[in-house]
Amino acid sequence: MTLSRLTLIAALSATAPCFAAETLRPLNFANDIVPILTKGGCNSGGCHGKSGGQNGFKLSLLGFEPQEDYDHIVMEARGRRVFPASAEQSLLLTKGTAQLPHGGGKKLDPNSEDYADLARWIREGMPYGKDSDPKMASISVEPAKLTLPLKAVQQLKVTAHYTDGSTRDVTKRALYEANEKAMAETSEAGRVQLFDLPGDVAVMVRYQGKVSTFRATVPLGAPVEKLPASRGFVDDLVFAKLKTIGMPPSDIADDGTFIRRVTLDITGRLPTAAEMKDFMASKDAAKRSVLIDRLLDSPEYAEYFANKWSALLRNQRTQPNFARGSYLFYSWIRDSIADNKPYDQFVREVVSASGDLDQNPPVAWYRQVKEMKQQMEDVAQLFLGTRMQCAQCHHHPFEKWSQQDYYGFAAFFSNVSRKPSTFAGEEMIFNKRGVAQTTNIRTKEAVTPTSLGGTALNLKPEQDPRRALAEWMSQKDNAFFAHTLVNRYWKHFFNRGLVEPEDDMRETNPPVNPELLSALAADFVKNGYDLKKLIRTITNSTTYQLSAVPNTYNAKDRQNFSRYYPKRLNAEVLYDSVNTLLDVQTSFAGQAPGTRAVALPDNSYNQSTYFLSVFGRPDSSSACECERTQEASLAQSLHLLNAAEIQTQLSRGNGRADTLTKDTRPDDDKISDLYHIALSRDPNAAEVTFARSHLDKKTAGKAGDEASKGKKEAYEDILWALLNTKEFLFNH
Amino acid sequence: MLNLYSHPSGGYCDGVSRRNFLKIGGLAMGGLSLNDVLRAETAQSTGKSHKAVIMIFLPGGPSHQDMFDMKPDAPSEIRGEFKPISTNVPGIQICEHLPRLAKMMDKCTLIRSLADCDSRHDAFQCLTGRNSKQQPPGGWPSLGSIVSRLQGGTNPAMPPFVGLAPKMGHMEWARTGEPGFLGVAHAPFQPNRGGGTEDMSLRGITLDRLRDRKSLLSSFDNLRRDLDSTGLMGGVDVFNEQALNVLTSPKLLHALDLSREDPRVIERYGKGENRNRDDGGPRLPEHFLAARRLVEAGARVVTLAFSRWDYHSDNFGQLREDLPLLDSGLTALIADLHERGMDQDVSVVVWGEFGRTPMINAKGGRDHWPRVASALLACGGMRHGQVIGATDKQAGEPTERPVAFGEVFATLYKQMGIDVTKATLTDLTGRPQYLVDGHLPMAELV
Repeated sequence: MTLSRLTLIAALSATAPCFAAETLRPLNFANDIVPILTKGGCNSGGCHGKSGGQNGFKLSLLGFEPQEDYDHIVMEARGRRVFPASAEQSLLLTKGTAQLPHGGGKKLDPNSEDYADLARWIREGMPYGKDSDPKMASISVEPAKLTLPLKAVQQLKVTAHYTDGSTRDVTKRALYEANEKAMAETSEAGRVQLFDLPGDVAVMVRYQGKVSTFRATVPLGAPVEKLPASRGFVDDLVFAKLKTIGMPPSDIADDGTFIRRVTLDITGRLPTAAEMKDFMASKDAAKRSVLIDRLLDSPEYAEYFANKWSALLRNQRTQPNFARGSYLFYSWIRDSIADNKPYDQFVREVVSASGDLDQNPPVAWYRQVKEMKQQMEDVAQLFLGTRMQCAQCHHHPFEKWSQQDYYGFAAFFSNVSRKPSTFAGEEMIFNKRGVAQTTNIRTKEAVTPTSLGGTALNLKPEQDPRRALAEWMSQKDNAFFAHTLVNRYWKHFFNRGLVEPEDDMRETNPPVNPELLSALAADFVKNGYDLKKLIRTITNSTTYQLSAVPNTYNAKDRQNFSRYYPKRLNAEVLYDSVNTLLDVQTSFAGQAPGTRAVALPDNSYNQSTYFLSVFGRPDSSSACECERTQEASLAQSLHLLNAAEIQTQLSRGNGRADTLTKDTRPDDDKISDLYHIALSRDPNAAEVTFARSHLDKKTAGKAGDEASKGKKEAYEDILWALLNTKEFLFNH
Repeated sequence: MLNLYSHPSGGYCDGVSRRNFLKIGGLAMGGLSLNDVLRAETAQSTGKSHKAVIMIFLPGGPSHQDMFDMKPDAPSEIRGEFKPISTNVPGIQICEHLPRLAKMMDKCTLIRSLADCDSRHDAFQCLTGRNSKQQPPGGWPSLGSIVSRLQGGTNPAMPPFVGLAPKMGHMEWARTGEPGFLGVAHAPFQPNRGGGTEDMSLRGITLDRLRDRKSLLSSFDNLRRDLDSTGLMGGVDVFNEQALNVLTSPKLLHALDLSREDPRVIERYGKGENRNRDDGGPRLPEHFLAARRLVEAGARVVTLAFSRWDYHSDNFGQLREDLPLLDSGLTALIADLHERGMDQDVSVVVWGEFGRTPMINAKGGRDHWPRVASALLACGGMRHGQVIGATDKQAGEPTERPVAFGEVFATLYKQMGIDVTKATLTDLTGRPQYLVDGHLPMAELV
């Protein structure tokens, strides 16, 4: 102990000049001490910050509640945590520096400024600070926005601003996190190291419940001399960005690629060979727009997007007797999309749904989303791109949201009530008359419905607060509602949101092209929340029609939309596409023969169809698109390469291979047919040669039935190979 | 930045192949960050084997007081028919029907005070360390899925997570470990189930024909890989190659094919019966051996379920049938791991969902008793030859050192090289979730 105290004194005197000015300033617990605990990770969710604390010592998560922390440190454990008479013997310091055994290891360096401040605070009798002491009002980061070269290093400076106008440099005690970890990494000291990926990256800076953001634009700096023709504001804004960062876009995709891409993206199916041939042959200059219109008017568009929304709206069949409800809800979603119901109306009908299933199917949403808090969290995440979950128990670490905001927003659902429906196991939903309010669990005070960032509403007892919520969401200047939807749809087509993840829109996670997001949202609002119009705007853009093939400069681009980003066909689409290629009529229990997997009403088919579950069809258990697994796995590969189901369909009588064997046309024509169906293009000469030589090999020296058998097997092999190509598995 | 694609070929000092890195890179689509990759890198063992967990679930709730926590001084209606025997650790006694285990107690730890059983007939808590109530959307992922997510595979022909339990009448016992919110990519490989496992061996296709198909595929599969910068396309390639390896040079199948094992070794594990015990699992010590072989072949986590322990009647008669095979299987596994130098790397845990009532009922059975249960741990580089916790005179309540399932999981994660105070996984709502609910590795063991 003597030794360590000597070390400490030496350390203090060595660094004394730094503190000379500060020793005059009395320490304030919230302003000076808590940030040390936060930076050291002491109050993180894995340690003392978790509810219940760690080994009897509890701190509020990330120090959001200094008064509670003060009590825990100073009042508990019979005062052993802090010991003013001999500060260095305080448990807070001996544990933190791991001089005494500490489950969390060494978190504090005895030679650090943090240690010195803690020791001084204890020596001075653990002052909490006075009510009149300044409080922190905000933080700022310098620089806030900068253009930097690839691989550059930038030191940030973070300043805390206090209510008395004073400021303090808190760079060393702030926390840093980059939103694109492939582009940049941050050090604990606020140093940003860029990698060699061009684009935009944001670093979230957090300090004691306040957040700020540093944004870097990292140009590639290649010459952008010729750009393809712009077809509207989408292209203007994407190309402007590409010019800024110096990244030339890829060429425009050819017709075959385009018809496959847009048909898959809008209707979730492959184009037929006939559709493809007609499209290729058409000389109409506007044929791409005409195609988009035709696809949007097809029932398959409604089915495909109903499939998307049905999962997000949690249309689950968890019990057999929910079938009626899940069918009704699915049909309602599909019909709403087919009718192109304005999006604000669609959302209003879900959020404020009342009554019985058969009169008002969207009440089924309330069946799966049972609790007030869940309802609020789903609405915030799904329709407003805001994740409120964290603020239920503590201040949101990445955002401005407090528990007051959380419960104020939840109060919109405080009067939702249920009574038994005429359908067994189902419930009717209604709004109970009365003043809508709930309790903030921290303050224990009543909170009335309050929109995000708004003021508390005074609703009359007979008003349904959910209508007021829908009203607020669809106000033209709502900063969340339209942005969230256009971002979600953008991601559907580009495989990457302007904000990523698409339902985590916050100041500290800025869009890669803010102007484009705003313009899309404004256009969407102006057009009366017209979803088809939005899809037209997106798919008619040159940006959407760019090739996926990179040029010299943009191979690594993942966020500037300088080319199309390929995506693996999702579970349902892939299942349907394999069946199309193998000429199989699907059959699902309780569905008409030939019903596409894309048109299934609910999640219950995932259990019965291994293909769908192994390729990640979501179970509709959350409001997040991320529930759909798009990762590759060994089980998927094994299934596609070797599933008995697929082998059987390949070799079945009257299956595709059998039909082709009996077909008397030349093999070259039949090989072309397969390429048209699977890949929407003609095979090239080499591919024809490979296929033909395989056919020859399997029939060589054989005649009659033996030759037919060999030929059929050869076609089975060709089909097998085609359906396992990346070109088939991906939309590109 | 660590470039996942440009490392020189050949192994790293920690034995991770380049292909393995490609695979991890392939998973980047699912949100695997650089940190995850680095974590996967550092968690590798430097020994001859890699870190792994073999989890033996005893479905139904084995009677702790007739196996690991004997109470010879209790009245006969409590202490039951079995007598304790001394073990090779002075002061530790276990059931007379576990004689081989008694000779190996220095290589094991008994926990006699598991105190937070979820009182349901369900393997869930033993597989996740979590209570099944209050799950996040998608559900809690199991240990194997978490390890799969954080550490990936060890080699291209083996899945990182294998669950050996077959289907059972009571399906909650047959769980092999769900991926929960991590998604199907991290589900266990289940060779004793329908569905995916049927895909593991060729049916009706000869190896020659598969070779033909493979060469056709490589002729047709010309889409430029640089179209995709997320790593997904590369990931599909890696898994396709892995799948073809499984089909053609079946490391996985061989691991499961016990006929490739030395007959004397098989004999040591004991001969079981490949049929389910009522609505429970099979009494198959062969699965213990398969688990060891799978780990040797590269699996990181293997789960299995052994027999059925829900003895509401004839508790002692049934235990007389179960215990000898558990004894031979478990001791053979422990001895094997030691003999092969895997004992420092492979943790073994044996437990059920709860304990059984102190009082023997009218049918000579014991009923459900979630207030306390026992568990056995072996190998894994942990400190052994000890008992942790104690119960009262009737083996009814923990009296010393109550242990939570989560503590055992924290210990297992630590042995896998994962720091539970730091590692988090993002759930479907965007919330970072810690791997255990606030528990720390058990100081007695590590």
